[in-house]
Amino acid sequence: MNRWKYLLYLVIFIVLLTLPLYTGVYLLNVVDIILIYLSLALSWDMLLRSGQISFGMAGLFGVGGYAAVLLHLNTGVHPLFSILLGGLAAGILAWLIGTAVLQLRGMYFAIVTLALAEIFRVIVRNLPDLTGGPEGTVLPSAIFSGNSTKTYWLVLAVAVISIIASEAFRRTRIHFALTSIRNDEVVAKSSGIDVFKYLVFIFGITSAIQGLTGGAYAHIYGFVSPDGSFSVDFTLLPIAMALLGGMHSTWGPVVGAVVLGGVSEFLKLKIPYGHLMVYGLIIVVAILFFPRGIVGTLGQRFKNTHRG
Amino acid sequence: MANFVGSLKKSTVQIALAGVILAVLLAFWKPHVLVEGFQRACLYAVIALPMALILGIVGIINLAHGDFMMLGAYFAYWLNVYTGLDPLLSILPALPAFFLIGMLSYRAIIRYVLGAPELNQLLLTFGLAMVLEQLANLLWTSRPIKLPLKYVSASATLGSFTFGIYEFIYVGAALLVLIGLLIFLKRTDMGQAALAVGQNPRGAKLVGIHVDRTYLFIFSLSIALVGAVGAIFMTRHSIFPLVGGAFTMKSFCLIAMAGIGNLTGILWCSLILGIAENFLLSFRGYAGWADILFFALIVLVIIVRARQRQVK
Repeated sequence: MNRWKYLLYLVIFIVLLTLPLYTGVYLLNVVDIILIYLSLALSWDMLLRSGQISFGMAGLFGVGGYAAVLLHLNTGVHPLFSILLGGLAAGILAWLIGTAVLQLRGMYFAIVTLALAEIFRVIVRNLPDLTGGPEGTVLPSAIFSGNSTKTYWLVLAVAVISIIASEAFRRTRIHFALTSIRNDEVVAKSSGIDVFKYLVFIFGITSAIQGLTGGAYAHIYGFVSPDGSFSVDFTLLPIAMALLGGMHSTWGPVVGAVVLGGVSEFLKLKIPYGHLMVYGLIIVVAILFFPRGIVGTLGQRFKNTHRG
Repeated sequence: MANFVGSLKKSTVQIALAGVILAVLLAFWKPHVLVEGFQRACLYAVIALPMALILGIVGIINLAHGDFMMLGAYFAYWLNVYTGLDPLLSILPALPAFFLIGMLSYRAIIRYVLGAPELNQLLLTFGLAMVLEQLANLLWTSRPIKLPLKYVSASATLGSFTFGIYEFIYVGAALLVLIGLLIFLKRTDMGQAALAVGQNPRGAKLVGIHVDRTYLFIFSLSIALVGAVGAIFMTRHSIFPLVGGAFTMKSFCLIAMAGIGNLTGILWCSLILGIAENFLLSFRGYAGWADILFFALIVLVIIVRARQRQVK
C-alpha cells in the first residue's frame, strides 16, 4: 500500500515537472499563481497547527519580495540567491517579532500579525530612497528573461519545498509538540515542551517560506510596489484555500489551492470588482458548516464506508 | 492594604499631574496638536467602546468591527443621495437599522462560534470583515466618497490660533456613549445581567438570566452604536470600502492597553494616543510614520503585560 502511494507521488511529480511540454503559456501562468498561493496556504496552515493564527502573510510575502529585489539591484547577487535571502530576511524579521509578542498568544498575536502588512507598507512608502516609495521599484528584466518554463520550475521548487517542510513537520517530534500546544498549553508545558521556543521557531520557519514565495513572485513579475506586494489577496486567498481544503494537514491546503486557484481565474473575469467577497464567504461558510474542509470531510466518509 | 491604596493614589496623582503639565506645555508650543489630538482621540474612543463591550461581555473579538462603521457611513451616504437626508440626522434611522443588522449577524453567524475555540472566532470575524469590505466594493466601488457639507468647516479663533469646532462632535459622542454605557451597565437590570453574563455565563444561567438573549442584545447594541458613529464619521472624512480596517486595529490596541472590561480606561488611553499621533503628524516629513505609532504601542503593551504575568 505504502509503496503504491510513493509511486503515485513520483508519477504526479514527474507529470508536474514536465508540464511545460504539454501546456501553453497562459495555462502555465495560471499554474504559477496556483502554486504561489499553495505555498502560502501551506505555510499558514503549518502555523495554525500550533493553535496560532497569522493574518500577516501579505506582510512577510511583501518583505521577502522587497528584500529579494533590492538585494539583487543594490548588491548584484544572482536573482535565485536573492530570493533565498528574501526568505531569510522574512524569517529573521518574524523571529524578532515573534520573540517580542509570542509571550501573549491567541488574539494578541493574531492582531499584531493583522497589522504587519499595513506597517511594512507604511515603512516601504516612507523610505523612497531605498524602496522607490509609493511607486515601487521595477527590475530591468524579469528572472530568466521571462522564460515561462524556467519560471514555472522556480515556482514548482518553492511549492515542493513548502510541501516537504509541511510533511517534515508532520512526521517528526515537532508535530507532537505543536499539536499538544494547540490542544492544551498547560499540559504541553508540564510535559516539558518549551512552548515559547517552539512557537517562535515555527513562526520564523513559516514566515521564511512566505518570504521565499514573495521573493519568487517579485522576480517573476519584475517589480515590487507597496500596494501590489502587500495586497490583502495574499492573506485572504491562502486562508480561504486552507479552510476549504481542510486545516491541520498537508493535502488540505494543497487541494484547496488547486480548487480555488482554478475558480479564481474564472471569478476574476466574471466579477472584476469584489470577487474577493467569494473568499470571505468561503471562510465564513467553512468555519460554520464544515470546519474540517474537503479533505477532512471526504476522509471521514471514506473511513466510515470502509468500516461499515 | 491601606498602604497599597495610598501608593496607588499617589502614583495616579503623579501621572495626572505629569499629563496636565505636558498638556499645558503642548498648548503653548503646538496648540493645534492638542485640540486636534483631543478630537481625534474621542473618535477613536467612540469606535473602540462598542468593540470593548462585545469583547468584555460576549467574549468575541470582532475583527469586522470597523467594517460595520464603514457600512454605517455608506448607509448615511445612501440616505443622503436618495432622500437628501442630512448625514447627522441619519443617525436616527442608522441606530435601529444597525441594531437589526447586528441581530441578524448574531443569529446567523456569531452565535455558532461562541463555544468554539478562539481560533475559529477570529477566522470567522475575519471572513465577515472581508465579506463586508468586498460588498461595499461591489456596491459603491473603491472610489473615495465625500459629501460637500458646509457646516463641517466651522472654526473658532482664539487669539492668533484658529481651530475647527465641528470636530468637537466626536468629543460629545464619546462622552455620550461612555456615560450612557456606564449608566446602562450599572443602573439597569439588563446592564447588570450583561455584567453577570460577562463575568460567568454559566453562573448567570444558573440564577435565571437568559444568556443568549443578553448576548444578542449586547452585540446588536454595539453594532447599532458603531453604525451610528459611521454616520458621524462620514460627514468629516472621505469614505471608501477599506476605511474601517484601521479602526478595528486601533480599537483593539486601545482595549488591550486599557485592559478588557475597562471602559473609562479606553478614553484615557485614546487621549494619550490621539495626541501622540497628532504630535507626530505635525512634523513635516514624518507624518507618514504616524500610522506605526499604534503598532509600536501594541507591541510594547504586549511585552509589558507578558512581564506582569510572569512576575505574578
